[in-house]
Amino acid sequence: MGKEVPVANKIKTDLHEILDIRHLTDSTFVLRIEKKDLDFEAGQHVCVGPPNGIHTREYSIYSAEQDDCLEILVKEVENGLVSPSLKKVQKGGYVVVEEPVGYFTINKDLPADQKYVFIASGTGISPFHSFVKSKSNLNYTLLHGVKKADEAYDSDVYEKGKYVLCTSQDTKGDYNGRVTSYLKDNKFGTDVHYYLCGNCNMIHDVYDILEEQGVSTDNIHAEVYF
Amino acid sequence: MKKKVGFKTLGCRLNQFETDALASKFVGLGYEVAEDSRNADVFVVNTCTVTNQSDQKSRSVVNKAINQGHTGMMIITGCMANHHKEQLEKRYPNAYVVNNEQKSAIPQLVEAHFNKEILPANESKGGVFSYVPAAETFHTRSMIKIQDGCDNYCTFCIIPKVRGRAVSRSVDDILENIRQVVGFGYKEVVITGVNISRYLSDGVGFSGLLKQIVDIDLDFRVRISSIEPDSFDDDFFKLLEHPKITPHLHLCLQSASESVLLQMRRMYTYKLYKRIVEKLRNINPLFNITTDIIVGFPGETESDFAQSLSALEELGFGHVHTFKYSKREDTRAARMTKVIDEREKSKRSELMRQKSLHAKIKYRQQFIGQSLSVLIDTVKDDFSKGYGEYYVPVKINQKLEKNHLHTLTITGIETGGDDPCLIAERIAL
Repeated sequence: MGKEVPVANKIKTDLHEILDIRHLTDSTFVLRIEKKDLDFEAGQHVCVGPPNGIHTREYSIYSAEQDDCLEILVKEVENGLVSPSLKKVQKGGYVVVEEPVGYFTINKDLPADQKYVFIASGTGISPFHSFVKSKSNLNYTLLHGVKKADEAYDSDVYEKGKYVLCTSQDTKGDYNGRVTSYLKDNKFGTDVHYYLCGNCNMIHDVYDILEEQGVSTDNIHAEVYF
Repeated sequence: MKKKVGFKTLGCRLNQFETDALASKFVGLGYEVAEDSRNADVFVVNTCTVTNQSDQKSRSVVNKAINQGHTGMMIITGCMANHHKEQLEKRYPNAYVVNNEQKSAIPQLVEAHFNKEILPANESKGGVFSYVPAAETFHTRSMIKIQDGCDNYCTFCIIPKVRGRAVSRSVDDILENIRQVVGFGYKEVVITGVNISRYLSDGVGFSGLLKQIVDIDLDFRVRISSIEPDSFDDDFFKLLEHPKITPHLHLCLQSASESVLLQMRRMYTYKLYKRIVEKLRNINPLFNITTDIIVGFPGETESDFAQSLSALEELGFGHVHTFKYSKREDTRAARMTKVIDEREKSKRSELMRQKSLHAKIKYRQQFIGQSLSVLIDTVKDDFSKGYGEYYVPVKINQKLEKNHLHTLTITGIETGGDDPCLIAERIAL
């Protein structure tokens, strides 16, 4: 045909050096990884796994687009195949990383002053951390649902008044109760774009609440964590 | 004497496109082509791996050819070749197992084989879009491949692992491909790919591409093949009103239960899907919406399944392809625990099949008394058959010219079997 066409679209994987491991709680940690040439859009995820295994898992990227490293937020899953291995890796070691992918990103066609509400459960805060760190002047409120206040991962990153910690099993959060209850008690409007990231049940319930509040599904974007 | 290449294609339209393009290339190289392995010097099996059943069917085609005495060159390609390359090479040591990325180089491989140049397939220069426009194919519609791969990562689907990341063919290549096949005499082109709604090349998205396709100043019609309902814009719906675009979409639903859709990691809700259907039926009340539904996905309750059953009536599907959920290793759903018993899956599948047949008949009966523009693809002694613009089969007891569009008036429907055919008794003037 003579014209230049993509020869193949095989998923690219590579070994990336571990630059740092930062433990946030007993089970949750931030893995800082060599970026190499992996450009990404905030909200995308990568598949990461130990270098000597065949298994990888998807992790939303935690770091900012412009950072010179990649970070992922990992919660150790008991009896899991990947997260316990990732917890044991050492600085200077390696992990397998697939190229970033995903559509859970901010729509570039929306106006610069668009109001966003980010709703996360647990480590579902990861893409929102990347949004906030990547894009200055983002007009957002972040609702973070966790069991206990020690799961408020890196909450000092967010501007005062823009981060609402909802704790269901202690009273140390900004709101004592589930993030879904907070959302029922506090309406943000129908012209807002809502981004949801976390477990299926939270997302399912939030969809119902927002639709009851008259929010169009066009304004709701979801990324499910399993 | 011409060497003969036999083909067997399983699975999706993308595979059909690739087989057609290969067959055409072989014809150009002086080979005879056929749709089976009988007396073939080369037999190409273009496999599918989307379900366990697809794997079994693919293996069965290879085994059948061997059992029927095929001793020539055997080529196994397609998604199963990507996913199970090592097992296939072990099981069929005399076969060439060619992955999707090298599929377009199969003619070079065959030539090298017969020239006794041993050329491993993985060293042949291939490429997912390196197919020349097919002048002669096994179909009356010409498939146009615009895209390959998928980045959606639905939890049940192995395709991103075997087809790879989403890549799009350039607009210029696609437009040139269409001009050529219309020049060959094709009256209908089918836009195909793994996830075509995510088409993006040099800033041109799917709607932008479609606009440039319908603006080609030639006489042909456009059919959009299987498409995901997660990224339509307003321009897309406007374009569906264009006379060149046929009123049919195979719009993958998979489940009408919101919670199952979330577990499947689909990128739309059932409510959004319903809104899309409403828009389509506002454009044309007869718009044919066909779909895929998976039954027995892990965790699918009786209530979830009942919602999918109800959707058949609510949305008036023209056809439903029902799949029993089949566990694919290396997918997220394979790790889900609430597995549905196989007998229960079969029961749900049969219920879905019965209800979808009823919906299909109801949909097709609406065409009685209407005129359709039918592309004739089969001509026998006493009848001709083809598909109208809505992609519903039409039969007429008359010999008509093949690969031509005929305006026929629908007078009845044959309701026996799983694919009720519309009957046309006379040519409308």
